[in-house]
Amino acid sequence: MKFHDLLIMSINNLRRRKLRTVLTVLGVVIGTASIVVMVSLGIGLNELTTEQISSYGSLTTVEVYSNSRWNYDSSDSKSEPDYITDDVIKRFERIPHVRGVSPVLSVDVMVSQGAYQAYAELYGVSEDFLKEIPIKEGELPTAKDKELRMVVGNMVHTRFYNSKTGSSYWDTLEISVDFMNKPLYVIYDTDAYFASQGVSESGSSIKPPKKYMIHTAALVEGGVEDWNSYSYDIYVEISQLEEQLKRIFRKKPIPGQPTTKKGKALPYLVYNSARVFVDDMSNVTEVQKTITDLGYEANSNMEWLEQSKQQSQMVQAVLGGIGAVSLFVAAIGIANTMMMSIYERTKEIGVMKVLGCDMRNIRDMFLLESGFIGFMGGIVGLLLSVLISEAVNHFVGGEALTGIAGDLSRIPLWLNLAALGFAVFVGMAAGFIPATRAMKLSPLAAIRNE
Amino acid sequence: MEHPLVMIRVKNLYKIYKVGETKVRALNGVDFTLYKGEFCAIVGTSGSGKSTLLNMLAGLEKPTKGEIEIAGKRIEKLTEKELVTFRREKVGFIFQSYNLLNTMNAIENVALPLSFRGMKRKARLERAKKYMDLVGVGRQAKHMPNQMSGGQQQRVGIARALAVNPQIIFADEPTGNLDSKTTMEVLKLMQKIVREQKQTLVMVTHDNNLASYADRRIRIIDGKIVSIEEGAIEIGEENGDQGGMAT
Repeated sequence: MKFHDLLIMSINNLRRRKLRTVLTVLGVVIGTASIVVMVSLGIGLNELTTEQISSYGSLTTVEVYSNSRWNYDSSDSKSEPDYITDDVIKRFERIPHVRGVSPVLSVDVMVSQGAYQAYAELYGVSEDFLKEIPIKEGELPTAKDKELRMVVGNMVHTRFYNSKTGSSYWDTLEISVDFMNKPLYVIYDTDAYFASQGVSESGSSIKPPKKYMIHTAALVEGGVEDWNSYSYDIYVEISQLEEQLKRIFRKKPIPGQPTTKKGKALPYLVYNSARVFVDDMSNVTEVQKTITDLGYEANSNMEWLEQSKQQSQMVQAVLGGIGAVSLFVAAIGIANTMMMSIYERTKEIGVMKVLGCDMRNIRDMFLLESGFIGFMGGIVGLLLSVLISEAVNHFVGGEALTGIAGDLSRIPLWLNLAALGFAVFVGMAAGFIPATRAMKLSPLAAIRNE
Repeated sequence: MEHPLVMIRVKNLYKIYKVGETKVRALNGVDFTLYKGEFCAIVGTSGSGKSTLLNMLAGLEKPTKGEIEIAGKRIEKLTEKELVTFRREKVGFIFQSYNLLNTMNAIENVALPLSFRGMKRKARLERAKKYMDLVGVGRQAKHMPNQMSGGQQQRVGIARALAVNPQIIFADEPTGNLDSKTTMEVLKLMQKIVREQKQTLVMVTHDNNLASYADRRIRIIDGKIVSIEEGAIEIGEENGDQGGMAT
């Protein structure tokens, strides 16, 4: 029998019992819609958390710390401490999937503009790192700049206080410092600065350390009180920073750097940490493990993301399960409808068998009917779930639940296709036993004259 | 008389049903031969085994013992799948309650067995129309079964049996649901078809009067053939005789 003929016959059979078909389809509609809506909520939650986490910093970066960075007791000379140096950075660069590595050198400084001053951390990082920073205005500094220039965090304002009145930003809520148009004065040698402030004790005044005028190249995106991972600090290009530090301190140890036993400066610079950029999110965990195996401590948002992914997968499974129950009930409905249909059509099936219809054709006809119920239910169910999803997004924002703006219910294309395929599959699976039974019905039923 | 082609040869046929502990012999050693172009009636009362015999000839039931050869093929040895193919290719069927599919109109019903053969829709509808015209219901082609009278429905049923161009047609009490006037019309039609189309038709009936219009009558009582008679009443000649042949 041609497939086309089978299909026409199946559809005609469904049309013959319109109300029953509609009711059965309705079951599938509800089942499909509840699965799709539930899963779309799960996907929405999942993506919202991913968006939330990536807003705290890139998901493709790994922060690397040295275990001995804060252990100044280098007298324990059993081995060379595993400082993060240029050599180590080069080693990281050779790890597969690593797109770039930036050293991070932090220097505590004192910055001032007019009467306002603040303590801040100056981070020396590579150009790769700087490119990750979202910029509101200005342009990123590069290694080829004539002088050191800064990228200032959008919340650095809040660290300033008036040295005359002692009032801070939080007291007045006034923006008092103009980064883009006026330079900042930076004091690197904070120890010397404090010493120069304590005049009265020693009696003799110490000359305050030299201030360096630095211009701001760019501001980090965001308002004064919008936090992101770059908003609180100042970033500069590292080679420029190193140059300036060497010029200032010459042979003396740079504050914050580890020293030899005799208190002399080391012949090389020790970085506070390194940031490793990975080519793809999926490789982050692998790279992180490689680095940990090298003996360094490594953190990434990926760990966090994976944890919360596991959580939201569980939520998704629970939600999907709830939806699946209603589709399961719908499947029972389909099976019941098909069973009834077979009892009603026993004679008809018998006639077809007597007339020489292949048993396979009979089974296929019933499978087509139940599959068609699933298909119709799937299509209408999808339309319904799109409506419900729109309503959910309209009335319940993602913000209410997770604190992040965005759609709570998301139906990607694959979910549409999968749900439709699943509905058809469920229909056919539910129709399988009835169809096999129809196939095995005795043709003698047609001969019997009731 | 030239020797005609053998269409059905039945040898030593038994069918035994087990009902609980007791064995019921529905057919108890049946032998007969039918030839091509014959109109044969199997006559018997209810429970005589005539329907069982028909079912086995059509490959709907398996014999307990014995041989059935139809058009040179031993059908008791076929698998169920092969039997379906056999019926599809070689056999036409006329039922007592017509058994037209209610979802289809008359012409689609006639074309249905052809669709089982995978014939294209246009070709099979053309062929169906031809046979509907032949049996005189050409004008009812688009009617649904429930819009037609019993006689019309049975004519459609006959067209459906003929449309597959079978080697043999089985009819199970084909006039059982019809009034006497329509019965004669249908009977006449069947006789005409056997004559004109050179078809072989086996009809099961309990009515001796109807059977008397067949070329050959096989009387069956309690699973055994008691007599085989030849010679038919032509309907054109003996029109008013009803019930007169009862034994």
